[in-house]
Amino acid sequence: MNAIFKRETRAYFTGMTGYVVIGVMLAFIGLYYAANCLVYGTPDFSIVLYSTTLIMLFVLPALSMRSFADERRNKTDQLLLTSPVTIPQIVLGKFFAQLAVFAVPVLVACVMPLILTAFGTVLLAGAYATMLAYFLLGAACIAVGTFISVLTENQIIAYLASFGLLLIAYMMEDIQTLFTTGNTLALIIFSIALAVIAALIGLACKSLTIGCGVFCGGAVLLIVLFQLRPAWLLTGLNSVLDALALFGPFRNFVSGMFSVSAIVYYLSVTALFLFLTGQALERRRWN
Amino acid sequence: MIEVSHLTKRYGAHVAVDDISFTVEDGCIYGLLGPNGAGKSTTMNVITGYLSPSSGAVIVDGHDIQQEPRAAKACIGYMPEIPPLYMDMSVQEYLDFVAQLKGERKKAARAADVARACERTGLTGMGRRLIRNLSKGYRQRVGLAAALLGDPKVIILDEPTVGLDPAQMIEIRELIHELGQRHTVILSSHILSEVQAICDRVLIISGGKLVAQGTPEELAARLAARGVISATAQGTKAAVLAAAAAVPGLTEVRVTAEKGDEVSFTAASTDGADHRAALSAALAAAGCPVLSLTSQQMSLEDVFLQLTENDPALAQEPEAPAESGKEAAPETPADSGETAAPEAPQAQEEPSAPETHSEEEGEAQ
Repeated sequence: MNAIFKRETRAYFTGMTGYVVIGVMLAFIGLYYAANCLVYGTPDFSIVLYSTTLIMLFVLPALSMRSFADERRNKTDQLLLTSPVTIPQIVLGKFFAQLAVFAVPVLVACVMPLILTAFGTVLLAGAYATMLAYFLLGAACIAVGTFISVLTENQIIAYLASFGLLLIAYMMEDIQTLFTTGNTLALIIFSIALAVIAALIGLACKSLTIGCGVFCGGAVLLIVLFQLRPAWLLTGLNSVLDALALFGPFRNFVSGMFSVSAIVYYLSVTALFLFLTGQALERRRWN
Repeated sequence: MIEVSHLTKRYGAHVAVDDISFTVEDGCIYGLLGPNGAGKSTTMNVITGYLSPSSGAVIVDGHDIQQEPRAAKACIGYMPEIPPLYMDMSVQEYLDFVAQLKGERKKAARAADVARACERTGLTGMGRRLIRNLSKGYRQRVGLAAALLGDPKVIILDEPTVGLDPAQMIEIRELIHELGQRHTVILSSHILSEVQAICDRVLIISGGKLVAQGTPEELAARLAARGVISATAQGTKAAVLAAAAAVPGLTEVRVTAEKGDEVSFTAASTDGADHRAALSAALAAAGCPVLSLTSQQMSLEDVFLQLTENDPALAQEPEAPAESGKEAAPETPADSGETAAPEAPQAQEEPSAPETHSEEEGEAQ
């Protein structure tokens, strides 16, 4: 793992990617810092971090797009997969290398609240708690991007798909407001999701019967729920959408709350996507 | 030692490797020979753990590649068809990275290992060069050096000499020969002379099946026993062919060249006996002076072509090799002999038409 981590980190800095990512992140953090804190005089550093979450959408997929897609295109994955290292070691080595690059602008940003203390009282605890959440949010984004990267051998597709997925996650709270009313709408959405899941299961098992069976069973369950407890569907839908709103929990920190559940959420998303990455990598050996 | 048993690899409906079984003994150089798309690379990728077999097992030095991948992979140094090089690294950095991947923790030991591999592959002094800027031949050497790191018991090389100039080819072959003294080497190639020159044992793969195995001499002898005669005689094509086909025990009379009134042809003996004298007499009797007459040794190339050409015939009766399982390999040459047999009447039929003419001619004379 160590070897892969070192190689990957070095690769980010022998090319331009590492410098560009760090440069863009720092430029925007610096811009908002200068505008909000230095010029306007806000003592709250969290607002700076909050404003730059959008930049993550653009920058972090650039970091993760090459991680596996490039290896596959150049067939260097053959070296890694035939060496005596395990798949978790490969995935973690690559993930931590990306995290290390992302940590550079975050570490530089850590100095910024300290500078503010020279001008007055600053909420240091709040600023650093937000910084932690910011870093974990970035880690989750990188994990998502890494997973997308393992699915394709084209870096541009990896970038666009990760960007699109993160953008949906970013806008999820706005999307949610579209669904606050109407149990029927929730039923329709759940039915569509069920159809997709049933189709996937049917394809995976190569059996039409199983696919149709899953769909029918699920449909009966949904209809019964809709007749008896129509509100459950809507609440259910909302909690599903909540879970997809990757950038939502971060706002708790910005508004001055330390939310343990948010930290657990980010760590779980990261772990889930790294696990899926490993599975996808393992899966590729079979076909 | 590597044991491959009943290995099958499917890509969707396409069967790339079909029930291959063989054992690789220690300290030998094995050559995997076959036309493009025969399943050589797939077999190697499964042995090295890059791909999972659809069914069957690979056991490397007592470790199953699926159950104990780390232990099995640690015994293998692999150079794939396209050396897996990171273009943005220097030779030194890359080899150091591979040594780390192979689990060498101490920096000094790693440096010594890298230096040794560089020396063996002729990369000394190239350490600081970026791999991006190296020529194809040198990239191949870097891939080879990477495979040597960690002193693995088994070295697997997929088409190690492809894209090299003749001088480099000879160098790499010498190196492989040298490696064979301390390691077990498996290499794949579609170049016959290469395999014939460096390998102790040859496995011929065609259409995903193992069609023959043995030493190059054994394989050649197996078909040479059928005794192929090549001859040149003076006279009309029809007369010469008729005379040759009339000799008892000769089949597959094929014209190889015609120049003026000289006809060159080959004929195979069905019973393995030497029919040169009979053929010479028959030609003379037919009024076709013999210009040259030699008993041909079959090269590995002939064996190879014969075995791989027969592949469609083999595919028609897939039960035979599948049933016999592990014994399939030694038996398949017999199969190919049988499948060659239906061809023989065809070969005979062609000259059989002029045969009647020649008899008439003989009567006329």
